[in-house]
Amino acid sequence: MTSTQAAPLQVVATFSIIGDMAGEVGGDLVDLKTLVAPDADAHVYEPRPADAMAIARADVVLTNGLEFEGFLSRLIAASGTDASIIALTDGLPTMEEPGGGHYHYVNGEAIFHAGAHDPHVWQSVENAKGYVANISAAFCAADADNCTQYQANAADYSARLDTLDAQIRASIDALPADRRTVVVAHNAFRYFEAAYGVTFLSPQGVSTEGEAAAADVAGLIREIRAANAGAIFGENISDTRLLERIGEETGLTLSGTLYSDALSGADGPAPTYIAMMRHNTSAITAALTAE
Amino acid sequence: MFKYLATASAIAMATTAFAQEHDHDHDHHDEDVTLYRVFVGDHAGGSVTALDLADPDHRWQFDTTGQVKLFGVAGGATVAAVQSDDNAVHFFSSGISFEDHGDHADIAVSDPAAIDTVLTGPRPFHVVDHGGSVIINYDQGGYAELIDAHHLSHGEVELTTFTQSQAHHGFVALLGGNLLSTVASDVVDAPRLGLQAFNADGTPAGELATCTAIHGEAFSGAYLAAGCREGVLTATASADGVTYNMLPYEADLPAGNTTGTLLGSTGIQVFLGNYGANGLVVVDPVDAPHFRYIELPFRRVDFALDPVHPANGYVLTEDGTLHQVNLLEAALTGSVKVTEPYSMDGHWNDARPRLAMAGDEVIITDPNAGLLRRIDTDTLRETGTIAVEGAPYNIAVVGGSGIDH
Repeated sequence: MTSTQAAPLQVVATFSIIGDMAGEVGGDLVDLKTLVAPDADAHVYEPRPADAMAIARADVVLTNGLEFEGFLSRLIAASGTDASIIALTDGLPTMEEPGGGHYHYVNGEAIFHAGAHDPHVWQSVENAKGYVANISAAFCAADADNCTQYQANAADYSARLDTLDAQIRASIDALPADRRTVVVAHNAFRYFEAAYGVTFLSPQGVSTEGEAAAADVAGLIREIRAANAGAIFGENISDTRLLERIGEETGLTLSGTLYSDALSGADGPAPTYIAMMRHNTSAITAALTAE
Repeated sequence: MFKYLATASAIAMATTAFAQEHDHDHDHHDEDVTLYRVFVGDHAGGSVTALDLADPDHRWQFDTTGQVKLFGVAGGATVAAVQSDDNAVHFFSSGISFEDHGDHADIAVSDPAAIDTVLTGPRPFHVVDHGGSVIINYDQGGYAELIDAHHLSHGEVELTTFTQSQAHHGFVALLGGNLLSTVASDVVDAPRLGLQAFNADGTPAGELATCTAIHGEAFSGAYLAAGCREGVLTATASADGVTYNMLPYEADLPAGNTTGTLLGSTGIQVFLGNYGANGLVVVDPVDAPHFRYIELPFRRVDFALDPVHPANGYVLTEDGTLHQVNLLEAALTGSVKVTEPYSMDGHWNDARPRLAMAGDEVIITDPNAGLLRRIDTDTLRETGTIAVEGAPYNIAVVGGSGIDH
């Protein structure tokens, strides 16, 4: 009797951060394709035919959910896929977008529409562990024969995430209490803020799709001054020109780049999720510590 | 009496086969509603019929100056009736308008109506609806008129004029902060030169991008694409202006042909273009191979892309067969005989069928039969016909699916 090598699980991850996590859990057992590359912005990504073909062939498609990947429904419709579509934020604690829901009126009746949720859930490491658990469960459901290995990989990775979480907390806790406010291009760090106690001010909302309004920028400048923000950062997915203008108005110079929605390339400072969180923490604490 | 519907947008909802779980729940009872409204121009000219696809006897009749080509513009709130041979453009409120609420939009549905303002000018032709402007090129006038799409959706025609250096058969499109205009040679009968970015006041905002005999334009994703003798020229907007890339026709394509008409997918970043009389070409602006050729059994009469199933398109060939095109496979994946043959010999403007998409249907005008034919995209079977007086010719469909509050 001869044994045959089973074909690897075909996995598509929508963007680089999820792709890295999927690689940690799946290892050599999965054939992984990531749609939105490092340093690219999933908010405004336009899917290509090759992406639809990859999804058509996939067994599992790992997504963030919460409307982060605006292209996803069109792409899935285009692919005609039978794959399991897994939103990794399912079951995790999420924050409603600032501004919340709204009322509008139909024939005199007030109708409330709840607001969308901030999709940048991975910016808290505790939440990232939830992503890992969901990835492991998705792989086990699609490939029960290798479930034990997926679970072992996930457990190992989660232990490293625990260490990371502790390191971030220690670094932030060492900052003076009045030096914990920074400025960044888009409002992607609310989960980091809630988990670790750094306040982020942003000219742009939770999506990079819309442009910052002039009135909002003027308000932000007042807010920066009032909060005595200690640093201003660019993002790897965003143009820095608006931030440079805000810096000129507030006397802040760019303190570096934060990686919010995408990893760096292999040669950059944030090629993995763990490296990204370490880099961001290090950049923030260094800037806030500097005089 | 207005009827209100709620939808993320008519097109978006129509194209969404997969809904993400999220918390946009409405705290009231909703009902799914689907409404498509069809506008058909008569080949003999001077008449447009509008009808509700779900209730084809519910119809309206409008007079125009001459034969029309119809475009759903301003998010489908308005239909432009371009009359190239009669130097006129009429507009009709489609009766379906949208009000954006951020995470969703409501639509108000009413009877369609003619908008009072009628544009006149020497040979209006290409219409480009992108970036908040509906732009009509006047081929014999040497200018284009820009109409604010938002105001047009409310029945108001606010015009600004963009002047070109030469009158020519071309187009003007808004891309980023620039106007992209085709540029013609000042040498009589010389082919058009290419594409160039201009500021709103007409001053150049970049160098000419060569695209010899440029014709046809479409948007998909971040790209505008246009056909040229050398290949397909793509243009994208960036903070530093417009970036061009010429995709040269590849050696394995049938020689001696070019692309002159392009359609852009709303679902994935890809174009479908003509390539010679007997072929189509799938154009991928990013990944190689940029061109994949699809040979047709007979000459092409008309083609369209499916916004509901973005991998699919449809092409009618002159033997009266409708073919389903899969853009991912670059192949014909189904065929059905739908009309009597319509030869492509004869005058280019002879009465021949035209295609439009309406949800899960292809609507085909059959001028000689005086019919609209409804073809189900799942089965490729004819599900019914709608009689339209005269010779139904050019067609536009607006509307989609939504939620009734």
